[in-house]
Amino acid sequence: MQKTVDSADAYVIDGKLALPYSYFAGRVGSTFITALRDSRQILGVRCEKCHKVFVPPRQTCEKCMADLRENWVTVENTGEVINFTVVRYSDRHLPREAPYILAMIKLDGADTPMVHILDEVKSEDVKAGMRVEAVYSENTTSTILDIDHFKPVS
Amino acid sequence: MGYRKKNRHVGIVGVGETKFSSHREDVNQAEMIHEAVRQALDDANLTMDAVDCVVHGNMELFEMIHQPDLWHTLGSGSYGKEAFRLTTGGTTGGTLACSGDNLAASGMYDVVMAIGFEKLQEGHTTGGITNMADPLWARKLQSGALTDSTAVKLIEEFGADRARRAAMTYRIIMDKHACLNPNSHRAFGLEWDQMDELMETSPPLIGDLRLIHMCSQSDGACVVIFASEEKAREITDTPVWVRDHITVHREETLNLCNNYYPTDTTHRFAAEKLYERNGITDPLEYFDVFEMYDPSAWWGTDWLKEFFLLAGDAHLKLVEDKEIMIDGKMPINPSGGVIAANPIGATALVRVAEAAKQIRGDAGPHQIQKPVNHALASAFGGTMWTVLTMLEKELNW
Amino acid sequence: MSEYHGIHIEDIFNSMKARFRPEGAAGVNHTFGYDISEEGKWRLTVKDGDMSLEKADDLSSCDVVMETDGATFVGLNIGKVDAMSALTAGKLKIRGDVNTFGITSKIFQKYVPPGAETTQEQELIALKQTISVDQRFATGPVMGKFLQGLKNKTILAIKCPSCGRLQSPPREACAICRVRNDEWVEIGPKGEMRMMEYCYYASPDPLTGETRETPYGAIGILLDGCQGEEVFWHLLRPDQLDRVQMGIVMGDRVRHGTRLRPVWAKNRTGSVFDIQYFEIDE
Repeated sequence: MQKTVDSADAYVIDGKLALPYSYFAGRVGSTFITALRDSRQILGVRCEKCHKVFVPPRQTCEKCMADLRENWVTVENTGEVINFTVVRYSDRHLPREAPYILAMIKLDGADTPMVHILDEVKSEDVKAGMRVEAVYSENTTSTILDIDHFKPVS
Repeated sequence: MGYRKKNRHVGIVGVGETKFSSHREDVNQAEMIHEAVRQALDDANLTMDAVDCVVHGNMELFEMIHQPDLWHTLGSGSYGKEAFRLTTGGTTGGTLACSGDNLAASGMYDVVMAIGFEKLQEGHTTGGITNMADPLWARKLQSGALTDSTAVKLIEEFGADRARRAAMTYRIIMDKHACLNPNSHRAFGLEWDQMDELMETSPPLIGDLRLIHMCSQSDGACVVIFASEEKAREITDTPVWVRDHITVHREETLNLCNNYYPTDTTHRFAAEKLYERNGITDPLEYFDVFEMYDPSAWWGTDWLKEFFLLAGDAHLKLVEDKEIMIDGKMPINPSGGVIAANPIGATALVRVAEAAKQIRGDAGPHQIQKPVNHALASAFGGTMWTVLTMLEKELNW
Repeated sequence: MSEYHGIHIEDIFNSMKARFRPEGAAGVNHTFGYDISEEGKWRLTVKDGDMSLEKADDLSSCDVVMETDGATFVGLNIGKVDAMSALTAGKLKIRGDVNTFGITSKIFQKYVPPGAETTQEQELIALKQTISVDQRFATGPVMGKFLQGLKNKTILAIKCPSCGRLQSPPREACAICRVRNDEWVEIGPKGEMRMMEYCYYASPDPLTGETRETPYGAIGILLDGCQGEEVFWHLLRPDQLDRVQMGIVMGDRVRHGTRLRPVWAKNRTGSVFDIQYFEIDE
């Protein structure tokens, strides 16, 4: 459609959106976080039917819908890099200053990889299949960042 | 208008509702939803394999997370299935029911699961609602989801004392119903002799709208499973048939700038159209129960007039004569309604689920004792948006 | 002394000293009254990081007083009763500032019934976050022209070429007739008050966390030149809330509302608050 309006008076104003919220981790999520924080143990849940150990844990198996709440298993603090990427921009919502490495890490004893930060290694030296281990943070935030990062197994 | 008869009939074959409460720290969102999903599947005696499509809905921004339907895959069972997300404000639950009906009627899917949820405790309702308003104007002026305009209108028309008593009578009736419903979030056990005191002492919010009149902020989820006629008959002996639904809204009020003072309500418009095309001349006679989306006792009282196309003071009399009680002529919200529990994205779907349970006869302690053959459920959004759903026991129209 | 939920009221009061948290009471200087029907009255004094509790006959000197019954009081302390619900239902009343009473939840550790100390509840993690993003809004030509008008102390409306209705703030189209609006009309600036929301409760502004002072009046004004539903939304001068009357049209019954005029801001920037508020035109 042809534009017939006069835009002379149009202008732009700045605004801001600030929205507070809480997130309740629930019993399953809280068990995972408190074990990580208090005993430096990484927990998962096993689906007997699908023969899978999920880390981080979830209440139900996504495939067969079985209730997994009681099927706790402890997995190792070590695992292997399945895949990785390098974050090359900085933004206030990101956990680190760029550049840093984000890796999919499958822990020993788990069947599902989880995303975490890989550090103490140059990005050009990272390879799929690389052995890594968890480094716990000194200060707790009651989040997944109670593992500060993963580093290559020495 | 663009209305056509459905391609095929659709029945409700399963419903699930969590208990509604002020907070649920013990479960995350996906886990809370899963409680209702599990209940609905058990109710229909189905597994997730039988579900072809999942429709998921809640308020935009209320838990402040992006794409909640993706977060919730673990609880909703939508892994590997066709899925949609709906977010139409207060009417979300009603729109979920419409889409469940439409998707099954279309022939695209035989079994459709509709999921509505809200965890209001996790978010910031006012923040969400404020961001609905035009940032250049109304965002600075609006008063959230609260308004006194209905009270002003009723008081102007019927006098302060009669109007206030009617609203409080409505409120106490809803509380009495809520006390029967084990899923209620708020059931106070109000007594009739508290009426005068409550009218005086309940903290005022806006004008004559007091805290006691207003709905709660709840956490909870609701699931309704829709199936094509053929499937519905295979799945259950007691399908509840969705006869028709209608959705009407006034785009005009959407930016909350203009028409502060609307006179034609979307409720009456929707009701007139729905009854006309289904040959219903006296809705008050026809329906056996009405589950109304009633955000406050003032609105609940006033809207009876719109939904039943009444004139004069007939709606006030229904309340004053307690004909809207569970054993009255036209039971309104045997569940306790929205004032008893308001997990917003689920709220309107709860109306449909409760209406379906009343028709099946297994609503529980708040089951209407007389036979229920015809039920009506409504949904409401603050921008003047109405959804009505008609349910039937027999497929005979 | 009666028992509620298996707990004596005296237990809750007697354990207050042991549950007192000086760090939570830092800077608090208040007297709190507890009036529990058929049970008695207690006065709690919190001052200089210390507390004292006494039975009392008269609580009129207290800063805030809670009035409730035994079952509700015990229920509140053990988490069986939600304070907001009790307040709503009239089972709990607070004389004085409700928020002041809320401080007590920081001053005392939670009451644990005798015998329940050993059953440890699982710690449930709740993360608190705030999303904060910068936004930009384009006024567009229509809203832009209207806002520029306010700078010059004029209130503009836009007119539908088909049905003739006026919209202010203006919109590009008439949604009823589905045509583009094309004619500008100056309206007001005086008018008649049609509707007022007399707000006792203000939602905090999610951008600033600030809460508007209450009570305030959000009003709909039928500005001169407008008719029917063509009302203009703004605020009323705060000290005039009780001096105005709403106009109404109900069938044949017409009652005119109070005449109002805008009070313009000194520095006008093209915003809603270029008009400070409307006041009585006298």
